[in-house]
Amino acid sequence: MAGVSASHLIIFIASMMVAASVVGVFTDSVGQLSDAISEQGVDVSSDVRSDIEIISDSGSDAIYNADGNENITLHVKNTGTLQLPARADRLDIFVDGAYQTDAEVTLVGGAEVWGAGDVVRVDISEPLDPGDHRVKIVVNGDEEVFEFRT
Amino acid sequence: MGFSVSGSAAIVFAGMFIAFGMFHTATTNGFERVSEAQEDRTDRTLAQQNTAIDVTSATWNTTSRTLTVTVNNTGAEPLAVSDVDLLANNSYQSGYNTSVDGDRDTDLWLSQEQLTITVTAINDNPGRVKVVSGTGVADTATTTEVI
Repeated sequence: MAGVSASHLIIFIASMMVAASVVGVFTDSVGQLSDAISEQGVDVSSDVRSDIEIISDSGSDAIYNADGNENITLHVKNTGTLQLPARADRLDIFVDGAYQTDAEVTLVGGAEVWGAGDVVRVDISEPLDPGDHRVKIVVNGDEEVFEFRT
Repeated sequence: MGFSVSGSAAIVFAGMFIAFGMFHTATTNGFERVSEAQEDRTDRTLAQQNTAIDVTSATWNTTSRTLTVTVNNTGAEPLAVSDVDLLANNSYQSGYNTSVDGDRDTDLWLSQEQLTITVTAINDNPGRVKVVSGTGVADTATTTEVI
Protein backbone atom coordinates (compact mmCIF):
# COMPACT_ATOMS: atom_id res chain seq x y z
CA MET A 1 0.00 0.00 0.00
CA ALA A 2 2.84 2.31 0.93
CA GLY A 3 4.54 1.44 -2.38
CA VAL A 4 1.44 2.40 -4.37
CA SER A 5 1.15 5.75 -2.56
CA ALA A 6 4.82 6.51 -3.18
CA SER A 7 4.54 5.71 -6.89
CA HIS A 8 1.36 7.84 -7.12
CA LEU A 9 3.22 10.72 -5.45
CA ILE A 10 6.11 10.40 -7.89
CA ILE A 11 3.75 10.36 -10.89
CA PHE A 12 1.86 13.34 -9.45
CA ILE A 13 5.06 15.37 -8.97
CA ALA A 14 6.34 14.39 -12.42
CA SER A 15 3.06 15.38 -14.11
CA MET A 16 3.09 18.72 -12.27
CA MET A 17 6.64 19.37 -13.46
CA VAL A 18 5.80 18.46 -17.06
CA ALA A 19 2.69 20.66 -17.00
CA ALA A 20 4.65 23.56 -15.48
CA SER A 21 7.37 23.19 -18.14
CA VAL A 22 4.80 23.17 -20.96
CA VAL A 23 3.07 26.22 -19.51
CA GLY A 24 6.40 28.01 -19.03
CA VAL A 25 7.43 27.50 -22.65
CA PHE A 26 3.94 28.42 -23.87
CA THR A 27 3.66 31.67 -21.88
CA ASP A 28 7.22 32.64 -22.81
CA SER A 29 6.45 32.20 -26.52
CA VAL A 30 3.20 34.14 -26.22
CA GLY A 31 5.04 36.87 -24.30
CA GLN A 32 7.58 37.26 -27.10
CA LEU A 33 4.79 37.29 -29.69
CA SER A 34 2.94 39.96 -27.67
CA ASP A 35 6.07 42.13 -27.51
CA ALA A 36 6.54 41.80 -31.27
CA ILE A 37 2.89 42.75 -31.93
CA SER A 38 3.23 45.71 -29.58
CA GLU A 39 6.38 46.95 -31.35
CA GLN A 40 4.74 46.51 -34.74
CA GLY A 41 1.81 48.62 -33.51
CA VAL A 42 4.22 51.42 -32.56
CA ASP A 43 6.00 51.17 -35.95
CA VAL A 44 2.79 51.19 -37.99
CA SER A 45 1.43 54.08 -35.92
CA SER A 46 4.56 56.19 -36.49
CA ASP A 47 4.52 55.34 -40.22
CA VAL A 48 0.90 56.49 -40.51
CA ARG A 49 1.60 59.70 -38.59
CA SER A 50 4.61 60.56 -40.76
CA ASP A 51 3.90 62.72 -43.78
CA ILE A 52 6.19 65.02 -45.77
CA GLU A 53 5.72 67.29 -48.74
CA ILE A 54 8.43 68.63 -51.05
CA ILE A 55 7.41 72.26 -51.29
CA SER A 56 10.13 73.51 -53.61
CA ASP A 57 9.02 75.46 -56.66
CA SER A 58 9.58 73.02 -59.52
CA GLY A 59 9.33 75.81 -62.08
CA SER A 60 12.17 77.76 -60.51
CA ASP A 61 15.58 77.75 -62.15
CA ALA A 62 17.22 77.75 -58.71
CA ILE A 63 16.52 74.08 -57.91
CA TYR A 64 19.80 73.01 -59.49
CA ASN A 65 22.82 75.25 -59.17
CA ALA A 66 24.42 74.52 -62.53
CA ASP A 67 26.88 77.42 -62.43
CA GLY A 68 28.06 76.97 -58.85
CA ASN A 69 28.37 73.91 -56.62
CA GLU A 70 26.25 71.71 -58.91
CA ASN A 71 23.91 70.83 -56.08
CA ILE A 72 20.16 70.32 -55.87
CA THR A 73 18.31 72.38 -53.25
CA LEU A 74 14.93 71.14 -52.07
CA HIS A 75 12.66 72.27 -49.25
CA VAL A 76 10.73 69.55 -47.43
CA LYS A 77 7.84 70.32 -45.08
CA ASN A 78 6.69 68.02 -42.31
CA THR A 79 2.93 67.84 -42.95
CA GLY A 80 2.35 64.94 -40.56
CA THR A 81 1.94 64.98 -36.79
CA LEU A 82 5.15 63.20 -35.81
CA GLN A 83 8.50 64.87 -35.17
CA LEU A 84 10.93 63.62 -37.78
CA PRO A 85 14.74 63.30 -37.61
CA ALA A 86 16.36 66.22 -39.47
CA ARG A 87 19.45 64.22 -40.35
CA ALA A 88 20.71 63.17 -43.76
CA ASP A 89 21.42 59.63 -42.57
CA ARG A 90 17.76 59.15 -41.58
CA LEU A 91 16.48 60.23 -45.01
CA ASP A 92 16.70 58.02 -48.08
CA ILE A 93 17.36 60.19 -51.11
CA PHE A 94 17.36 59.03 -54.72
CA VAL A 95 18.25 61.22 -57.71
CA ASP A 96 17.16 59.66 -61.02
CA GLY A 97 17.02 56.30 -59.23
CA ALA A 98 20.53 56.51 -57.76
CA TYR A 99 20.86 56.43 -53.97
CA GLN A 100 22.56 59.54 -52.60
CA THR A 101 24.84 59.70 -49.60
CA ASP A 102 26.29 63.18 -50.12
CA ALA A 103 23.40 65.25 -48.81
CA GLU A 104 22.99 67.85 -46.12
CA VAL A 105 19.82 68.59 -44.15
CA THR A 106 19.36 72.00 -42.52
CA LEU A 107 16.41 73.28 -40.50
CA VAL A 108 15.11 76.60 -41.82
CA GLY A 109 12.79 79.26 -40.44
CA GLY A 110 14.27 79.21 -36.93
CA ALA A 111 12.94 75.74 -36.03
CA GLU A 112 15.03 73.70 -33.57
CA VAL A 113 13.49 70.32 -34.42
CA TRP A 114 11.70 69.07 -37.52
CA GLY A 115 8.26 69.12 -35.95
CA ALA A 116 4.84 69.32 -37.57
CA GLY A 117 4.69 72.25 -40.01
CA ASP A 118 8.47 72.85 -39.98
CA VAL A 119 10.64 72.91 -43.08
CA VAL A 120 14.12 71.55 -43.79
CA ARG A 121 16.41 72.41 -46.69
CA VAL A 122 18.01 69.39 -48.36
CA ASP A 123 21.18 70.09 -50.35
CA ILE A 124 22.20 67.19 -52.56
CA SER A 125 25.60 67.25 -54.27
CA GLU A 126 25.01 65.57 -57.61
CA PRO A 127 26.12 66.85 -61.05
CA LEU A 128 23.22 66.66 -63.51
CA ASP A 129 23.00 66.84 -67.29
CA PRO A 130 20.50 69.24 -68.88
CA GLY A 131 17.07 67.61 -69.06
CA ASP A 132 14.30 66.19 -66.89
CA HIS A 133 15.17 64.78 -63.49
CA ARG A 134 13.39 63.33 -60.48
CA VAL A 135 14.27 63.20 -56.81
CA LYS A 136 12.67 60.78 -54.38
CA ILE A 137 12.84 61.29 -50.61
CA VAL A 138 11.75 58.59 -48.15
CA VAL A 139 11.23 59.23 -44.42
CA ASN A 140 9.59 56.73 -42.06
CA GLY A 141 8.06 54.90 -45.02
CA ASP A 142 6.55 58.05 -46.53
CA GLU A 143 7.75 58.65 -50.09
CA GLU A 144 7.66 61.89 -52.03
CA VAL A 145 8.77 62.43 -55.61
CA PHE A 146 9.83 65.80 -57.04
CA GLU A 147 10.37 66.35 -60.76
CA PHE A 148 12.20 69.28 -62.27
CA ARG A 149 14.12 70.40 -65.34
CA THR A 150 17.70 71.62 -65.55
CA MET B 1 -3.79 9.22 -11.01
CA GLY B 2 -6.88 11.46 -10.98
CA PHE B 3 -5.07 14.11 -8.95
CA SER B 4 -2.18 14.16 -11.45
CA VAL B 5 -4.48 14.76 -14.42
CA SER B 6 -6.56 17.36 -12.59
CA GLY B 7 -3.51 19.16 -11.25
CA SER B 8 -1.75 19.25 -14.63
CA ALA B 9 -4.92 20.43 -16.36
CA ALA B 10 -5.31 23.19 -13.77
CA ILE B 11 -1.74 24.39 -14.32
CA VAL B 12 -2.13 24.29 -18.13
CA PHE B 13 -5.44 26.18 -17.97
CA ALA B 14 -3.97 28.80 -15.62
CA GLY B 15 -0.99 29.22 -17.98
CA MET B 16 -3.23 29.59 -21.01
CA PHE B 17 -5.33 32.14 -19.14
CA ILE B 18 -2.22 34.22 -18.33
CA ALA B 19 -0.92 33.89 -21.91
CA PHE B 20 -4.26 34.98 -23.34
CA GLY B 21 -4.22 38.01 -21.03
CA MET B 22 -0.76 39.04 -22.26
CA PHE B 23 -1.70 38.51 -25.91
CA HIS B 24 -4.99 40.37 -25.57
CA THR B 25 -3.33 43.38 -23.91
CA ALA B 26 -0.66 43.60 -26.60
CA THR B 27 -3.06 43.30 -29.55
CA THR B 28 -5.57 45.74 -28.05
CA ASN B 29 -2.87 48.38 -27.40
CA GLY B 30 -1.41 47.94 -30.89
CA PHE B 31 -4.83 48.12 -32.52
CA GLU B 32 -5.77 51.27 -30.59
CA ARG B 33 -2.46 52.95 -31.47
CA VAL B 34 -2.88 52.23 -35.18
CA SER B 35 -6.57 53.23 -35.13
CA GLU B 36 -5.71 56.60 -33.53
CA ALA B 37 -2.99 57.20 -36.12
CA GLN B 38 -5.41 56.36 -38.95
CA GLU B 39 -8.06 58.71 -37.53
CA ASP B 40 -5.38 61.38 -37.32
CA ARG B 41 -4.47 60.81 -40.98
CA THR B 42 -8.14 60.96 -42.00
CA ASP B 43 -8.46 64.33 -40.24
CA ARG B 44 -5.30 65.58 -41.98
CA THR B 45 -6.57 64.46 -45.38
CA LEU B 46 -9.93 66.15 -44.76
CA ALA B 47 -8.17 69.40 -43.78
CA GLN B 48 -6.02 69.12 -46.92
CA GLN B 49 -9.07 68.58 -49.12
CA ASN B 50 -10.79 71.62 -47.58
CA THR B 51 -7.75 73.84 -48.13
CA ALA B 52 -7.44 76.09 -51.16
CA ILE B 53 -5.30 79.20 -51.53
CA ASP B 54 -4.93 81.62 -54.41
CA VAL B 55 -2.02 84.02 -54.90
CA THR B 56 -3.81 87.09 -56.23
CA SER B 57 -0.72 89.26 -56.66
CA ALA B 58 3.03 89.20 -56.22
CA THR B 59 4.66 92.56 -56.76
CA TRP B 60 8.28 93.63 -56.58
CA ASN B 61 8.73 97.28 -55.76
CA THR B 62 11.98 98.33 -57.44
CA THR B 63 12.19 101.56 -55.42
CA SER B 64 11.72 100.18 -51.90
CA ARG B 65 13.06 96.72 -52.83
CA THR B 66 10.05 95.10 -51.22
CA LEU B 67 8.23 91.96 -52.25
CA THR B 68 4.52 91.99 -51.48
CA VAL B 69 2.46 88.85 -51.90
CA THR B 70 -1.30 88.74 -51.38
CA VAL B 71 -2.97 85.37 -50.97
CA ASN B 72 -6.64 84.56 -50.52
CA ASN B 73 -7.88 81.66 -48.43
CA THR B 74 -10.43 80.31 -50.93
CA GLY B 75 -11.04 77.04 -49.09
CA ALA B 76 -13.15 76.18 -46.06
CA GLU B 77 -10.30 75.34 -43.69
CA PRO B 78 -9.04 77.91 -41.16
CA LEU B 79 -5.26 78.20 -41.62
CA ALA B 80 -2.45 79.38 -39.36
CA VAL B 81 -0.28 82.26 -40.55
CA SER B 82 2.71 80.84 -38.66
CA ASP B 83 2.45 77.61 -40.67
CA VAL B 84 2.61 79.43 -44.01
CA ASP B 85 5.89 79.13 -45.94
CA LEU B 86 7.09 81.47 -48.64
CA LEU B 87 9.64 80.57 -51.29
CA ALA B 88 11.03 83.31 -53.51
CA ASN B 89 12.63 81.60 -56.51
CA ASN B 90 13.17 78.48 -54.37
CA SER B 91 14.79 80.51 -51.58
CA TYR B 92 13.05 79.97 -48.23
CA GLN B 93 11.99 83.24 -46.63
CA SER B 94 11.56 83.97 -42.93
CA GLY B 95 11.26 87.03 -40.75
CA TYR B 96 8.76 88.75 -43.02
CA ASN B 97 5.73 90.80 -41.98
CA THR B 98 2.23 89.43 -42.37
CA SER B 99 -1.26 90.80 -42.03
CA VAL B 100 -4.66 89.22 -42.45
CA ASP B 101 -7.23 91.71 -43.76
CA GLY B 102 -5.12 94.48 -42.17
CA ASP B 103 -4.65 92.74 -38.80
CA ARG B 104 -0.90 92.32 -38.18
CA ASP B 105 -1.19 90.43 -34.86
CA THR B 106 -3.48 87.55 -35.72
CA ASP B 107 -2.25 84.05 -36.46
CA LEU B 108 -5.61 82.95 -37.84
CA TRP B 109 -6.17 83.11 -41.58
CA LEU B 110 -9.82 82.26 -42.00
CA SER B 111 -11.84 81.37 -45.06
CA GLN B 112 -12.25 84.20 -47.61
CA GLU B 113 -9.68 86.37 -45.80
CA GLN B 114 -6.64 87.84 -47.53
CA LEU B 115 -3.11 87.34 -46.25
CA THR B 116 -0.53 89.95 -47.18
CA ILE B 117 3.15 89.04 -46.88
CA THR B 118 5.75 91.78 -47.07
CA VAL B 119 9.39 90.74 -47.52
CA THR B 120 12.18 93.28 -47.26
CA ALA B 121 15.15 90.92 -47.03
CA ILE B 122 15.53 90.37 -50.78
CA ASN B 123 17.78 92.52 -52.97
CA ASP B 124 16.59 91.54 -56.44
CA ASN B 125 13.31 90.65 -58.06
CA PRO B 126 12.94 86.89 -57.45
CA GLY B 127 10.77 86.46 -60.53
CA ARG B 128 8.48 83.88 -58.99
CA VAL B 129 7.04 83.03 -55.60
CA LYS B 130 5.42 80.00 -54.04
CA VAL B 131 3.17 80.14 -51.00
CA VAL B 132 2.64 76.92 -49.04
CA SER B 133 -0.09 76.52 -46.42
CA GLY B 134 0.28 74.42 -43.29
CA THR B 135 -1.55 71.49 -44.88
CA GLY B 136 0.89 71.49 -47.81
CA VAL B 137 -1.52 73.00 -50.35
CA ALA B 138 0.42 75.58 -52.37
CA ASP B 139 0.09 78.15 -55.13
CA THR B 140 2.69 79.87 -57.29
CA ALA B 141 2.84 83.17 -59.14
CA THR B 142 5.28 85.24 -61.11
CA THR B 143 6.15 88.67 -59.78
CA THR B 144 5.30 91.92 -61.48
CA GLU B 145 7.52 94.96 -61.07
CA VAL B 146 6.20 98.28 -59.81
CA ILE B 147 8.05 101.50 -59.21
